[in-house]
Amino acid sequence: MNNKEAVKDPFEEKISNLKSEDLRKALQIFKEKINYDYAAFLNTCVHCGLCAESCHYHLTYKDLKSLPAYKLNLVIKVFKKNFSQTGKRISRWVGAEELNHHVVKEWIDSLFGRCTLCGRCALNCTMGINIPYIIRTGRSALAAIDLVPPGLQSTVDTALRSGNNMGIPKEDWLETIEWLEEELQQDVSDSKARLPLDEKGAGMLYTINPREAMFFPLSISAAGKIFYAAGESWTFSSDYYDVTNYGLYSGDDEAAGIMSEHLIMSMKKLRCHTLVLAECGHGFNSNRWEAPEWLSRKYGFEVKSILQIVADYIRVGRIDLDPSRNKKIVTLHDPCNLVRLGGIVEEQRYILKHATANFVEMTPNREKNYCCGGGGGQLAMTLFTERRLKVGKIKADQIRSTGAKVVATPCHNCIDQLMELNKHYKLGVEIKTVCEIAADALVINKKKTNTFHSLLSS
Amino acid sequence: MLTFLRYGVIISFFVCTISLCILVLKTLLFGKKPLHSEPQGVENKGILYAFGKGMMPWEKESAARHLPTYIAGILYHSGIFAGLFYILLLVIPFCPSLFLINALRILMLCGIACGVALFLKRIFKTTLKNISCPDDFASNILVDLFLFLALIDTFISIVRPVLLFTAILMLLYIPVGKIRHCFFFFYSRILFGLFYGRRGILPQKQRQFKV
Repeated sequence: MNNKEAVKDPFEEKISNLKSEDLRKALQIFKEKINYDYAAFLNTCVHCGLCAESCHYHLTYKDLKSLPAYKLNLVIKVFKKNFSQTGKRISRWVGAEELNHHVVKEWIDSLFGRCTLCGRCALNCTMGINIPYIIRTGRSALAAIDLVPPGLQSTVDTALRSGNNMGIPKEDWLETIEWLEEELQQDVSDSKARLPLDEKGAGMLYTINPREAMFFPLSISAAGKIFYAAGESWTFSSDYYDVTNYGLYSGDDEAAGIMSEHLIMSMKKLRCHTLVLAECGHGFNSNRWEAPEWLSRKYGFEVKSILQIVADYIRVGRIDLDPSRNKKIVTLHDPCNLVRLGGIVEEQRYILKHATANFVEMTPNREKNYCCGGGGGQLAMTLFTERRLKVGKIKADQIRSTGAKVVATPCHNCIDQLMELNKHYKLGVEIKTVCEIAADALVINKKKTNTFHSLLSS
Repeated sequence: MLTFLRYGVIISFFVCTISLCILVLKTLLFGKKPLHSEPQGVENKGILYAFGKGMMPWEKESAARHLPTYIAGILYHSGIFAGLFYILLLVIPFCPSLFLINALRILMLCGIACGVALFLKRIFKTTLKNISCPDDFASNILVDLFLFLALIDTFISIVRPVLLFTAILMLLYIPVGKIRHCFFFFYSRILFGLFYGRRGILPQKQRQFKV
């Protein structure tokens, strides 16, 4: 026996060691997560297969397992077997199947490994079935029996343990803010320019993706510079500032709820009235739309994307942009969770049209845009890296055909994937956030800044 | 015999309707979660979109890419509704005008042709065949047979007992198999509209940020 055989993959081992009570538990959670609308969807699929080409996995692999209807059917089979009379009595006739080891393996491979929960299939479904939400229900059942692929689960665990998904210690975060503040002061030539931290009573609490603090500090600077120019009353929080929520992807509503609660705690502590979400697609969907449902209560404050805020600044003339400062051709990638599932569609375009001299759209765009391949937790699941890069070719081709030199995207997950695609498919483009581009075009008008600042202070 | 079968059709229609209502009630038993997030759009507009523009090939890529199948689907379902209407005329009973009969004949003929085409597609297209279960084939055969008999009956009423018997079978089978989508289609599209309308995704918002 060689070493490779001797060392069994612990995740594989976990699957093969599943007991019948584990399967019962998964089924129980599956049932708990189904509400009336999911139950209606699970009764509706007619296996027409028209969803096929809406999925970037199917377009890439052209195989049965990547077909959205097939992935959906994996969940429907179990639903029918357990919760429908025909499924119980004439299983084979209606294609019902019990949740067993084989199905669990297929669920992991398909629901986690062949879906980014981008929702493009749902938009193209003849019946209107909300396929990603059904797929997520399957993920929830797997999460209940500890079968979330390791990388994704460890991201969730880190966020729960340390308050942010990268495990950044508080001191490092404070230090980062400190040196970024110094840089901002130099950049705008104003020693009073600040990146406020824990400022009680500030109007807005600005959250970030922890990757910004670790690898993309320019994104933080950009937001800080825009807030400075607009004379905004805002603050960072020293403890909970993470906009991401990988519970959305793992399907673990309880964990997702805890992570959302963290931001609510910061809001309460700092008595802010608007929670401003950084450029993060799934962070927006999680905190704007899903968190109140995970927590079963309304927020007592407003939740907005930074894009809505910046677009408003431009619209009312609170900031001035000079598009000639961004002369390169810029295109925009629409993050699925922000656009197709979040409803933030025009704001980013409005900003880019004011901040760049050459803006071109991808085809298709807006809610019809293709996923970059990095969503659904794929970036965290190393198990499926090869697939992720392969399905990203559609996005790479989309970018190439625009002739753009800069790709803007309001999502750090997408940025990571696009950076990898840039390297893998030799696109030769720069990848930036929308705010970074806006900040480059920003014309600082100190008089205006001071006016708004004193207005807000008073 | 015919009277007996006519009553059979009426009874099976009620059985079908009640069973479908029970199925809907069963879905409702899974519970309705109250939504807590603040809406960004208008739900009713989403529903209108779901049944209007959202079904059009220029809006829905899947329909545009599969235009023949999309058109076949529309014609097939139009034929089915024509067939059901014809059965209604037989059960009432009511003697329709020749114009109406001819219109129903055309619709049913198109329905049969498209139904058979979709059946063949399901058999010969590997991916489609692989996601199909016996119910998918049986439902198609049953409906095609019903349409075929209804069309023949408009010319020679000798097949009427078989037609009415097939109609009974079909009505009783609706809640059992995939034909239940005749009911769930509307349910799902409404939910689709609610979701996208509420979030202000579809229909797309007025261009507040027009440059």
